[in-house]
Amino acid sequence: MNSMTDTVAATPLRNDAAAKMTAREVSVFYGAKKAVDSVSIDISQDNVTAFIGPSGCGKSTFLRTLNRMNDTIANARVEGQIVLDGEDIYAPAMDVVQLRARVGMVFQKPNPFPKSIYENVAYGPRIHGLADGRAQMDEIVERSLKRAGLWEEVKDRLQDSGTALSGGQQQRLCIARAIAVDPEVILMDEPCSALDPIATARIEELIHELRGRYAIVIVTHNMQQAARVSQRTAFFHLGSLVEYGETSEIFTNPRVERTKDYITGRYG
Amino acid sequence: MRRRIRRRYAAERRFRLLGLGAILLSAAFLAFLLVTMVSNGLGGFRQTEIRVDIDFAANTLSAASAGGEIEAAVAAAAEAQYGPGGARALSDTAWLRVERAIEDDPSILARKKALWLPAASAIDGAAKGDGDGEAEALVTRLEQDDAIRTGFNTDFLTGADATDPAAVGIWGAFKGSLLTMLVTLAIAFPVGVLSAVYLEEYAPRNRWTDMIEVSINNLAAVPSIIFGLLGLAVFLNTFHLPRSAPLVGGLTLALMTMPVIVIAGRNAIKSVPPSIRDAALGIGASKVQVVFHHVLPLALPGILTGTIIGMARALGETAPLLMIGMRAFIATPPDGITSPASVLPVQIFLWSDEVSRGFVEKTSAAIIVLLAFLLAMNGLAIFLRNKFERRW
Repeated sequence: MNSMTDTVAATPLRNDAAAKMTAREVSVFYGAKKAVDSVSIDISQDNVTAFIGPSGCGKSTFLRTLNRMNDTIANARVEGQIVLDGEDIYAPAMDVVQLRARVGMVFQKPNPFPKSIYENVAYGPRIHGLADGRAQMDEIVERSLKRAGLWEEVKDRLQDSGTALSGGQQQRLCIARAIAVDPEVILMDEPCSALDPIATARIEELIHELRGRYAIVIVTHNMQQAARVSQRTAFFHLGSLVEYGETSEIFTNPRVERTKDYITGRYG
Repeated sequence: MRRRIRRRYAAERRFRLLGLGAILLSAAFLAFLLVTMVSNGLGGFRQTEIRVDIDFAANTLSAASAGGEIEAAVAAAAEAQYGPGGARALSDTAWLRVERAIEDDPSILARKKALWLPAASAIDGAAKGDGDGEAEALVTRLEQDDAIRTGFNTDFLTGADATDPAAVGIWGAFKGSLLTMLVTLAIAFPVGVLSAVYLEEYAPRNRWTDMIEVSINNLAAVPSIIFGLLGLAVFLNTFHLPRSAPLVGGLTLALMTMPVIVIAGRNAIKSVPPSIRDAALGIGASKVQVVFHHVLPLALPGILTGTIIGMARALGETAPLLMIGMRAFIATPPDGITSPASVLPVQIFLWSDEVSRGFVEKTSAAIIVLLAFLLAMNGLAIFLRNKFERRW
């Protein structure tokens, strides 16, 4: 035990050549309560980054700061700096709407719009003016659904309601919807927690396929899932980033005692 | 143990019977209301007419004759045909129909012509089985001559208020109600929905918005007569808008309807799941896009329900309209939202206050028209609501 430190290993992996996003000393407050405490981390372009940790550890809150979804919560306040490709996303000049088009999000509960499957995917490109005319829109919808691995299942019923799909299909539809606006980063907030194991396996497969094309950050409760899908893992506890490193390192040879205790199931 | 189970079943049965009883009681009240209205009111849609042979050639009438001359000629013809008192068998406004006949076909001025003219209220009542001895005797005599008939009263559906119950029409009040409702809807719906959207989606949660919320809830409970006084003070005395006009009536009712729409709208908007907002925001929709593309379409059925309730209440409202002068006697249907008008409930109130017996069936007939209007409005709103619900 003495060989391990219990202090926060806040030193991020800086040797990443292609850091897509960097966060420096980011703290999030809900009113007076501090939910995230001074987190610094680099999000890599080519890898899947997993955030793990027990409930209420601030991993989802931190994820939502990466595309400023916390702006919609009335009394949330963010301190520190988050940079996307050299741009400070909390700078006054940053357009939140454009930011969210660049940093897409997939939520815990599948939340397709109560519209047709086609409309679900086409909505993003339409509001951002990405398609000239019907043919190009059809192409975007098809490409997005193919990338999300849903095309074969829905190609004959694109006009059916998105809410009529099964849970796993709905979640892949949500991923297709996020992909359709051609984002650079995709944030996934426990995307499989409402799904059965087979649907979960499909999503994990999909994450593998999407890796490299998009920088992917996934929050998960499920440590096996983090081990399966990610190359980088960050362990959050009580609002702080406890340890961040190569997934293989974190799971086989954690440097911090708390990480080891969590991974071996002593709490969580 | 078994006794407890028996008691439980007995309690279930008792409760079910109580519920059934309550439903039956309200159904009975409704049936009573409808049966009374329909049995009294159907007569109001029928009008007794008397045939009068007028020898236009014998008179000195011309196309340019004044109303008084025509009236005298009609009275003389009736007296000649049915003896003394014959003129009183005709409605006060019977000559108007003669005037119209002359306008339609001036050639009748040169010959003798039989015209069906509306009967006076007493004769009308007697013909429908509710009159005094004198009138009934006259009716029997007319029936022998084949000079009396009862037909559908088109004048009732096309005319406006009059002093003679045989000559009144509901169209004036109906059109007044229609125009008033249009003004109310045009003001209350957009303002109410926008307020609801702002309060739910944009306004910060603080003391001010709490105060606004409490005020709106209170406003919805304010007695309608107070809104009438407000309308009188603001629209008539301060802005000098025309008295008795559907414009002012509509504005006053809009004040009353708005809080209902705001409250219903807020509840409908609140019930749209936040995950839909997150989903739209998450792919880069702006706040306005989230509201107009996702939240409002999903909330629309609920908003429409609230609007129906508010509008139905406004349609039946009498008190505030009395305050702004819509109880005046208005004998012509309104031309637009600024000309003087009455509305259906006020018309019912005015007619029910009349002493003449002929107004009883007219009042019931007006109630039938009001209920039909209400049903049509609700039907349209329910149709719209279902249509919007099906889209999803």
